Amino acid sequence: MQELDDYINKVKHLPPAPRILPELLRLLKRDDVDNSKVVTCISFDPSLTASVLQLCNSALYSPATPIGDLNQAITWLGFKQIYQLVAAVVGSRALGPAQTGYGINKGELWEHSVASAVAGQLLARKLGDDENMVFTAALLHDLGKIILSEALEGIYTKLVEETQQHQQALLDAEKRLLGVQHAEIGGRLLARWKFPENIVTAVWFHHQPKAAAPHDRLAAYIYLGNLIAHFLGHSYGHQALALRGRTDALDILGLSPESLPHHMIETVEQLALVEALFHPPV
Amino acid sequence: MPSPTFVSGFEHRVVVGIAELAVSNNPNVILTTYSLGSCLGISVYDPVVHAGGLLHIMLPDSGIDAVKAADKPAMFVDSGVPALFRACYQLGAVKQRMIISVAGGAQIMDESGFFSIGRRNCDALAQLLQQNGLQVSAQQVGGMVNRTMYLRLATGEVRLKVSGEPRETILYAGA
Repeated sequence: MQELDDYINKVKHLPPAPRILPELLRLLKRDDVDNSKVVTCISFDPSLTASVLQLCNSALYSPATPIGDLNQAITWLGFKQIYQLVAAVVGSRALGPAQTGYGINKGELWEHSVASAVAGQLLARKLGDDENMVFTAALLHDLGKIILSEALEGIYTKLVEETQQHQQALLDAEKRLLGVQHAEIGGRLLARWKFPENIVTAVWFHHQPKAAAPHDRLAAYIYLGNLIAHFLGHSYGHQALALRGRTDALDILGLSPESLPHHMIETVEQLALVEALFHPPV
Repeated sequence: MPSPTFVSGFEHRVVVGIAELAVSNNPNVILTTYSLGSCLGISVYDPVVHAGGLLHIMLPDSGIDAVKAADKPAMFVDSGVPALFRACYQLGAVKQRMIISVAGGAQIMDESGFFSIGRRNCDALAQLLQQNGLQVSAQQVGGMVNRTMYLRLATGEVRLKVSGEPRETILYAGA
């Protein structure tokens, strides 16, 4: 733990913390969500408020009459929809920039994150789990890469070599070269940002879902969401698919491997509908 | 579905999305399909009439969803490849002259085979082409990389761009 904290502490550019998300998730958990509390919470960030309203009025929903303020937006679209828009805006602030340490161009990590989140969300909806929780966790699963990218900048070719020539998973190559890997760094960062424990643990173990117990279901959603995103080409950097197959992700959720193609098709169709999330106004 | 004819003499990219196909005989067009992942990019080109097409398929077998296959034949190998050839024939292309190039079908590190969508796509294509007496002229498939594919209609040249690599490479040199 200390090692991870030391690592995070010495990074020059920490991403902007999406502190509003754990707060909203707590509000969302209650049966009687208080709209005014939600509005106060979002309004605290004027540029976030403007971006959310812009998305409300975009092709995403195409409202018949323009939505003018957050109260109206929540009444019309519901809290869950608004939550996702907030997550998209604050998430892209952190995950949007290029990460040269991984050979990631501007917007690529964000696109991957959205695709993973949508794929995970659809699975959760089908299996009756909390889809906002899954959406959030999958959206932020690669947060640790932002931290490691800085350190990898000088040794990027080495990372490619490790994965390509020695057939190592990207995660193992990071561990060998840096002593830490992106999943645990991301989990630790989310813990420091006061995200709920299930998200922290699931992100921490999103490449080994079984190890995330008792939050293994959430980790399995992230794992499969991540996988589907890569399969569909919402991927980035060199050796983009250098990750290990974990059949336990299927076992944990009671899914058959034959169901994967169907989930891929559903994800492609949903992504076409929420295309605006790939380029949120920030 | 031929791409629209532009009057300008400038080369321009026409993007083929996932589960889509496009054909053209416009020498200014470069058909482009981004980020193949485990999907396959399949290009065909008839060097005599300078017509060709590009297909971005997701999955091997339309049997899993017949309704989807009718709506979006380009989603599957077994429905997409015949649709691609048929669309090229409308531009005067002839089967025996077609130059076929293939890219994509990337894989994760998976011994179980449960996640081998990329390999199954490649296998389905190989089988279909063999049944029809067709051969692939150039291919770069498998591995763990994400590829983007370009077909230049003027020459039939096929280029690839691998994510994380600085430059494009030539998969098929063309005329």
